[in-house]
Amino acid sequence: MAQIFDRSSNALARMSLVLTGLIVISLGVTLDQLQRSPWVTRQGQRPDQPVPFSHKHHVQGLGLQCQYCHTSVEKSSYAGIPPTKTCINCHSQIWTNANLLEPVRKSWATNESIVWTKVHDLPDYVYFNHSIHVNKGLGCSSCHGRVDLMPLMYQQNTLQMEWCLNCHRDPAKNLRPVSQAYNMAWEGPSKEKPVWCSVSDEKTGKPTAQSVDCQTSEPGKVEVASLSMAGITLPTMANYTKFTSQRELGNYLIDHYKIRKPNELSSCEVCHR
Amino acid sequence: MSSEGGNGMMRKNEEQKALTLDQVRTKLEGVKGKRYWRSIDELAGTPEFEAAVAKEFPDAAAEWVDPVSRRGFLKLMSASLALAGLAGCTKQPDEPIYPYVKQPEDLVLGKANYFATAHPFATGGVPLLVKSDAYRPIKVDGNPDHAYNLGSSDVFTQATLLDLYDPDRSQHATVRGTTTEYVEFLEAYRERLNAGKANGGEGLYFLSTSFTSPTLQRQWAEAQKAYPKAKLVQYDPALAGTAFAAGLNPQFSLDKADVILALDADFLSGAGYPGFHKLTREYAARRKNPAKGMNRLYSVESTPSTTGLKAEHRLGLRASEIPAFAAALATAVGVPGVSAPNYSWSAEQTKFLSALTKDLKANAGKSVVIPGIYQDPSVAALALAINKALGNIDATVSLAGEASTSGDQIAGLKGLVADLNAGKVDWLVMLNSNPVYDAPADLDFKTALGKAKVSVHLGSHIDETGAEAIWHVPAAHYLESWSDVRAYDGTVSVIQPMIEPLYGGHTAHDLIQAMLDEPQTSAYEAVRSTWKSTISKGSGADFELGWRKALHAGWIEDTKYAASSAATAATAIKVPTPSSKDAFELIFRPDPNIYDGRYSNVGWLQELPKPVTNLAWDNAALVSGATLTKLGVDEGDILEITVGGRKVKTPVLVAPGHPDNSATLHLGYGREAAGRVGSGAGFNAYLVRTSDAPFYTTGTAVKVEGKWGIAVTKSHFQDLRSKVEGGDGSGTHSLEANEAETRGVIRSATLEEFKANPGFANEGEEHPKVERDNTLFANWEYKDNAWGMSIDLNSCTGCNACIVGCYAENNIAVVGKQQVRIGRNMQWLRIDTYFEGDLAAPKAHFQPMACQHCENAPCEQVCPVGATVHTPEGINTMVYNRCVGTRYCANNCPYKVRRFNFLLFSDFETESLKLMRNPDVSVRSRGVMEKCSYCVQRISEAKIEADKENRAIRDGEVVTACQQACPASAITFGNINDKTSKVATLLADERTYSVLADLNTRPRTQYTAAVLNPNPELAEAPVEHAPAKG
Repeated sequence: MAQIFDRSSNALARMSLVLTGLIVISLGVTLDQLQRSPWVTRQGQRPDQPVPFSHKHHVQGLGLQCQYCHTSVEKSSYAGIPPTKTCINCHSQIWTNANLLEPVRKSWATNESIVWTKVHDLPDYVYFNHSIHVNKGLGCSSCHGRVDLMPLMYQQNTLQMEWCLNCHRDPAKNLRPVSQAYNMAWEGPSKEKPVWCSVSDEKTGKPTAQSVDCQTSEPGKVEVASLSMAGITLPTMANYTKFTSQRELGNYLIDHYKIRKPNELSSCEVCHR
Repeated sequence: MSSEGGNGMMRKNEEQKALTLDQVRTKLEGVKGKRYWRSIDELAGTPEFEAAVAKEFPDAAAEWVDPVSRRGFLKLMSASLALAGLAGCTKQPDEPIYPYVKQPEDLVLGKANYFATAHPFATGGVPLLVKSDAYRPIKVDGNPDHAYNLGSSDVFTQATLLDLYDPDRSQHATVRGTTTEYVEFLEAYRERLNAGKANGGEGLYFLSTSFTSPTLQRQWAEAQKAYPKAKLVQYDPALAGTAFAAGLNPQFSLDKADVILALDADFLSGAGYPGFHKLTREYAARRKNPAKGMNRLYSVESTPSTTGLKAEHRLGLRASEIPAFAAALATAVGVPGVSAPNYSWSAEQTKFLSALTKDLKANAGKSVVIPGIYQDPSVAALALAINKALGNIDATVSLAGEASTSGDQIAGLKGLVADLNAGKVDWLVMLNSNPVYDAPADLDFKTALGKAKVSVHLGSHIDETGAEAIWHVPAAHYLESWSDVRAYDGTVSVIQPMIEPLYGGHTAHDLIQAMLDEPQTSAYEAVRSTWKSTISKGSGADFELGWRKALHAGWIEDTKYAASSAATAATAIKVPTPSSKDAFELIFRPDPNIYDGRYSNVGWLQELPKPVTNLAWDNAALVSGATLTKLGVDEGDILEITVGGRKVKTPVLVAPGHPDNSATLHLGYGREAAGRVGSGAGFNAYLVRTSDAPFYTTGTAVKVEGKWGIAVTKSHFQDLRSKVEGGDGSGTHSLEANEAETRGVIRSATLEEFKANPGFANEGEEHPKVERDNTLFANWEYKDNAWGMSIDLNSCTGCNACIVGCYAENNIAVVGKQQVRIGRNMQWLRIDTYFEGDLAAPKAHFQPMACQHCENAPCEQVCPVGATVHTPEGINTMVYNRCVGTRYCANNCPYKVRRFNFLLFSDFETESLKLMRNPDVSVRSRGVMEKCSYCVQRISEAKIEADKENRAIRDGEVVTACQQACPASAITFGNINDKTSKVATLLADERTYSVLADLNTRPRTQYTAAVLNPNPELAEAPVEHAPAKG
């Protein structure tokens, strides 16, 4: 009786062993990549919206302030999605017949919501709070990217836990003066563009942002001529520190904004309850 | 009728069984593999399947009625598993955002609003502050500014939240069982009213629960003018026949009382007793600092209650003996003109009476006698007379001058039934009442109701009465409608709606207003016009301003009852003679959890272990151990109780300290049309309750075949009984109780012992102490906040309000009776009851037990995935998403406070329940461990606000849900690093100890040892009673 397997089967068998290993590894890698891919995280995706609202047009073009629409960003966990009323404030006067705005007018007339699709969608077991971030020196663009350059809204970052923890473990790399929170073009201090900060009258009960004053132009060189009229005495110039790197500024702000320690910020109950 | 009732109960269960898995199984037969899933989808829409799934996976609304075969169970489980697995491989679906069209000005999404309102409970309004998230009420709590309850609440009040979102509430008006519109009803009703104008409304009858609303009373008074012959009968099954319903509403001030006597008055266990919140607070306040003197509580009671078990001295008497005992006491303290019936008191009872008399007399003017409301009216009259004789009137007792009365409710109902039977009733409108279920059995209300030409039922559910009535109109919940109510002290609170009626419900105000000249006037306008003059007077004639103030504060100024010391006419008090000592007495009481049956369909209350017995999901005939032996039955056996030919079958359960030869039957169970939760639970005690004996009667009880699986959540007394059965017979302590003593789980002392040795709680071998340095590792240093809790065991009365508060705050699931029976109930907080002393006359210690947040937590060390970890502030936190369900932590927890989701207990489907959830707490899914989190969501919120304002969290800024609900202020929470905080002060107290301190777990929750204040005359060797059995 002839052999069922000839000698070449041995090689095949060895090869299949190696192949199996490779397949398992590549499957793992694929799944891992898949998990981090925009397909799952939705990074960079622009879902269909009832109105192709352009942040670029409204923010960069018209100069609307973020909080004009996202009213509760400093007060609440939600930044807030504007009610139809906010749109109608202007669009009852301009572009009143634009086809694109038909859903807005319809909503206004029928008293039914414009149903947007959520772009930044955290899992339901994550309790994120906008207000504490904005009040402690995190800018909009740090998480949302250059919204002022987005004709259609998309998610800049993964919003995965790893990404959250990257900052919670080392907030210094993203902190900026609270006064710059809504500055979409903020880049952090550098040799070319230093930042000067001073601290005055730090005390309990006074929000930290009010004690820290930061400027992007050198203090003392500010044009104050128009202000220094007779009878008005300018407050004495506090001691300003010059920062030329994000790290230095970040550490300075951590101290003066009383940012909690990384072990506290990355404790589970901060985001999960 | 009665034996039918028992059988009916069983039949009902069988019907439900037939509804469940069998049909699904038939449908699925032959369908295998992948196709199965598609079939589920197809089946999902059918009501049979929904019913089956609802029973298969018990959730916040559904009860698991019948044991399911393992095979069927696995089939459905695998179905849901596979679906879950499939969902895990796909992306999360797009989530829509529905912004407002016009956002309300004062709404900041993500920030809760708080509105003042009140819960109109039968025994008096409970002023509330309701938390509202985007205008959905999500938490009901007491109004902290209201002088009556200072923010505390009770089980009923807490549970009204689930009552509002009950998916079984009726959603449409019906006529003869078919859906119709409210306007159809209104048309017919108006036609009848117009026709009735000519003859003064003859034949027009109204039956209602007691009118708690002054506006409703006013509206009715006006309607009566237009229709003088229309009749109103008020009937509250729990209150009919009480002195309270007849208008006697004495105001007690326990803060000034050194000696308190409760004459069958259970004023510490729940809102069933008028003034519960205030009485409990004042009682507890006088026990917080024993060094400054304590009160002493005596209790004479017919059924063991937390009041009796908290009392320094408790005398168990059969219900019919209590009026005679009160009369004997009255004679002894010198009340003139009382003829106490001749009765042979035992030596022990005589001794109790003389010691009590002496103590009361010695504390004349500083004592108080509180009468029970479920007693013969003579007890209330005698208590008043004793208080008067002791000079307590105006010191610890005042009489409310203008208490409202709903008359003799029983006579009223009897008259109505007579008129029904005589064919005089043309229209009968039943407002929020359920007489077919709860009217006295001898009146046979159901038959009588059929004789009304037209019957109308306004109710929240299509209940027993709703099913019989021709018209049914859905009622609006109190959180959905305008009304008003008086609190115990008379202060009027305006009830303002928190949400639009979910199902377009209407109120009694609407139906009564329809009789008046302006039938369209809304309840809102009606309430405003009732109080227009009062408010205008108080606020300098500016009504609108005053009205807004009243709504904001939660009460209308200057509406408290005027105190009146006017003595009631000293009529001769007729004291009934006790029944013969051989007679078997039956006591009827509203249930501590579901009251008269109105909260039957509230899962939180059904699953709540009742005080004293720790029985959930059922009622049972409660008897003493000796009576159990005498009847020749065992716990869980079925008794047939016969009263005057009427019969009911009930399971039997021992209540420690129950008087012999009597049984307590709790009302409110055995409902057939309560809804998915309440139907079929327990037995119906109304079947043997007659109009001539609403509170106690005599009857017989015999054992019948069968067993009733009862769900008792403590193992405590069971152990004791098995020990007794094992032939020992002498033991007076269960295993746990023994451990409680030898390991110092419960620590207490008498006032004398405490004075001699204030540090008793942490001394001696049996009272191990936490030793901080007894560790190999360096102690973690908690730098900023360090959260801790102090629970005062001297104050805790075991009323359970905290548990229901915890349910609402933390989205805790209801699991169903079968799951409770196998120990899977999910309450994060339980109240351990440790009985002390004589079996037949025990004292008890109530110990609220939740996660102790050990600094050295045994659970954390065994979790393989780091799902339970310590935060830098010392909270032992659960990370649900990490949990894989090994349950090692629960096994390693010495306090047994961890709860595991064995099945999908949380309801993710029912729409109305989604509205109810606390949005700040995850709803836990199957396979996840959970436990008390110290309300970490509240801590986080406070921390964020404090950080924004650059300050430390203030003491008292974080209040846990249990602390908030507690009427006795037994729970204090805060930062123990702040040495000036209330909790730090309490934890530093000498009486504070840790439970199981010998394990060196270093709990953050610590207990303040109880100090009792016994009367030395009664403290001597307790009288030996016969053991429970054998």
